[in-house]
Amino acid sequence: MKKSILYLLCILPGALLAQIKVVKDTIAMDGDSVVVTATRSERKLSNVTVPVTIVNAKQIQQTGSLRLTDILKEQPGLTMTSGFGAGVQLQGLNPDYTIILINGEPLVGRTAGVLDLNRIALGNVKKIEIVKGPSSSLYGSEAMAGVINIITDASSKIPLQASLRYGTYDTKDASVNTALTSKQFFYQGYYNYYATDGYSIRPNSASRVTTPIERFNINQQFKYNISNTTNLVVGGRYTDEQIKSDISVTNGGTTIHSNGKEHNTDYNLSASLNHRFSNTVKTSFRSYLTEYNSIQNLLTLSGAPYTDVLNHLFKRIENQTDWVVGKSLTAIIGGGAVWEGVKSSRYDSEKVRKSNSIQYGFTQLEWTPNAKFIIIGGIRFDQNAAFASAWSPKGSLLYKINKANKLKLSVGQGFKAPDFRQLYLDFTNAAAGGYSVFGTAQAQKVIGTLNDLGQIGVLYDNFYQLKVLQPEYSTGIHLSWDYEPTNKTFISIQAFRNDIRNLIQVQQVGAYVTGAQIYSYLNIGRAFTTGIEIEAKQQLADGLFVSGGYQYVKTGDKDQIAQIKAGTVYTRDANGLSKRLSLSEYVGLPNNSKHKFQLKLNYYHANGFFVNIRALYRSKWAVNNTNGNEVYDNGDSFASGYISLHTSIGKDFKNGFSVQGGCDNISNYIDALNLPNLPGRTFFGTIKYQILNKK
Amino acid sequence: MRNFFNQIVLVVVLSVGLFACSKSDTTTVVPVTAITVRNLSADTVLGINSTTGMPYSAGKYTFYSLEKNGIVPNTDSASTKWDIAFAATKILTNGGTSGVGLGGAFVFTGLFDDLKTISTDSVFKTDNSATATYAITTGSGKGWYVYDQLTSLITPLAGRILVIRTASGKYAKLEVMNYYKGGVTLLTSASDADKLSKQRYYTFHFSYQPNGTKTF
Repeated sequence: MKKSILYLLCILPGALLAQIKVVKDTIAMDGDSVVVTATRSERKLSNVTVPVTIVNAKQIQQTGSLRLTDILKEQPGLTMTSGFGAGVQLQGLNPDYTIILINGEPLVGRTAGVLDLNRIALGNVKKIEIVKGPSSSLYGSEAMAGVINIITDASSKIPLQASLRYGTYDTKDASVNTALTSKQFFYQGYYNYYATDGYSIRPNSASRVTTPIERFNINQQFKYNISNTTNLVVGGRYTDEQIKSDISVTNGGTTIHSNGKEHNTDYNLSASLNHRFSNTVKTSFRSYLTEYNSIQNLLTLSGAPYTDVLNHLFKRIENQTDWVVGKSLTAIIGGGAVWEGVKSSRYDSEKVRKSNSIQYGFTQLEWTPNAKFIIIGGIRFDQNAAFASAWSPKGSLLYKINKANKLKLSVGQGFKAPDFRQLYLDFTNAAAGGYSVFGTAQAQKVIGTLNDLGQIGVLYDNFYQLKVLQPEYSTGIHLSWDYEPTNKTFISIQAFRNDIRNLIQVQQVGAYVTGAQIYSYLNIGRAFTTGIEIEAKQQLADGLFVSGGYQYVKTGDKDQIAQIKAGTVYTRDANGLSKRLSLSEYVGLPNNSKHKFQLKLNYYHANGFFVNIRALYRSKWAVNNTNGNEVYDNGDSFASGYISLHTSIGKDFKNGFSVQGGCDNISNYIDALNLPNLPGRTFFGTIKYQILNKK
Repeated sequence: MRNFFNQIVLVVVLSVGLFACSKSDTTTVVPVTAITVRNLSADTVLGINSTTGMPYSAGKYTFYSLEKNGIVPNTDSASTKWDIAFAATKILTNGGTSGVGLGGAFVFTGLFDDLKTISTDSVFKTDNSATATYAITTGSGKGWYVYDQLTSLITPLAGRILVIRTASGKYAKLEVMNYYKGGVTLLTSASDADKLSKQRYYTFHFSYQPNGTKTF
């Protein structure tokens, strides 16, 4: 830890020396009305056919957000989930339906489908684009809930920026951002060190809910304009995180304590060569390599060691060509290949890499028949070596009714192939009572062998239904109406519906003689999520803004609803007697809150002073099927709904210094069981210095 | 007009009711009543073993007669005086390896009141301690209850009726309503000490058919 700080201090002078070239403009982050995610090329927000929310650098900085989770949890319609790291739920769909991109390239290293968004530091982020709904054919077939694209910018105009932050629970964050720009060459370097002592919010408990963590992030990005028509962009990112674990797991009434260390690293390298042949044709070759490596060493109190290793390697090459066919028609055509492999101690052998390859092609046509309409149609074809090939068509439309009103519609169909764990997992959790989970590629064989050895106590009927998993198929529709009567008011009302079939779910298929559970995966569910979202922003006075969001989501498992209608699902009445469950008592999918709202008040003064207060509400959500009837209903356990309040105040001085202080979770709301990622009230203070460009 | 219509409806209802009564008079079905038993302790936890950290109890069953609606002393365990026996989540019937009676059982999925007749093709299972298979299946989610690993609470499954053949070969139906003292499941936030000391108290209701038929 100390070493890392020293390292930071050592590179500081170097970074200072490095800023020789002086860039022209002052800080103006207002290229923000440009969106890249929808088409992979810069578009004015007003001409984008899909609903996009932009979070700019100013918002990130003024809310005092450090990690990606901090800022996403405040956005309308987004919910952070806990368990296997912090993931994001969009439109009521699980985190694996949202693709997380950094500069258009995917992040890998998901545990149980969840990508831990705390891995991503925000200090060099120019903006975050959140695209909701089945929007684009360009990023992969599974992006049904949405795409979150984190954009850093090599052409930063700030040559040097350094910040230090200290907060509750001995949380330290230090970052240095450097940039070098010339006519031909752009460079951005970002170094971040983060450490926290973690916290224990359970009374009388030695184990910390969030354990001590140290993280180190490095981002490097180079852009070289070879000529007016050709440029080369090379980027790299590295994260190193050390987590001290202290875990207690209870299974079957027995609690097992263990402690140890977790070391996660991930890097990605990307290179793209972009060439403009003419005003109408440009092409881009991209190659991308990313690797996530996680080693967890645990020692249970009984002294039994437990090591968990995961390595995920992802390689991709891709070409995309954009052709302006005519005044009203643009075509994108592209294709590529992905090679992906995972090694894990949770598979049969940690030395053998399980791999898969996908070849794909996509095309997207953008047609502007007149000034009022923009229509985009796209289709993607994935040839997945492990699964059948599939087409995923997507379409979207923008109708500018008049200056103040816009209508957007997007529809799409997608599929999500089973991931490696669902196929190859061969995992027995010694730290949690010895339960096992087997992927479908070998579940029958492995369990069969165990059965021959006399270790299996019982096999359920569904064990015999196990087969190689099929992809999950989904269809989605998203409608939005944007109303912008003046440049001080913005209202957006959105409605969405997603239907998924062949849902892959973990099911208990049997038990050992010891009683420990055996799980595998089955394509069993059919589910839907539907809802509405309202976003509104209003400028009240010079520098004073109020914004709010509300989301209502209804979810359900269609098979369960059919069972409830058939009268075969039971619950208990107030007297403790059984009764048939009525549909009105059914609450849908777990971990989904029906209602959510955000209310934010922001003030900035021209002299650099800013203050904001944000309130976030989430209604109750089902966490556990306690009454054992296999559906989530009013008789189950819920996490209570809650409001959290956050505030931040600061000032940017003309000489380049900034100070900021803030308090998160002011009302000190705590729910150790259901919200392990929400610490109690915390405070922070930040100082920042940036060398400004004096012309 | 409305009043007149209501009167007609009333007349129709009354005549249907009279007709139904005269019909049922021809058979002599004695209605079986549902009896509720509260707080029946079943091998309650005495403490925690300091070396293993596991809760311990006396390891004794509570024997119950559905016919007499009362507890049977443990000294009569080798008799046909009892019909079912409780120890923690395990429920025995007086038959097979558990007792000398004709007892057996199976778990019916449905509502207590909906089970009017035990269908003729129903198979009564008996206890077999050698294979650890019991007429009332043991284990979470398999028989009559579910155990929540997160909260360490036991909840009787709704819509699971234990159909019991008594020691003397008569029939009864029984639904476990609660497993905690006072018939109230503890809050998930209850202390671990309470979760241990207040469990293993059965609240159940049952109907016993003394005439030997399978109809309730």
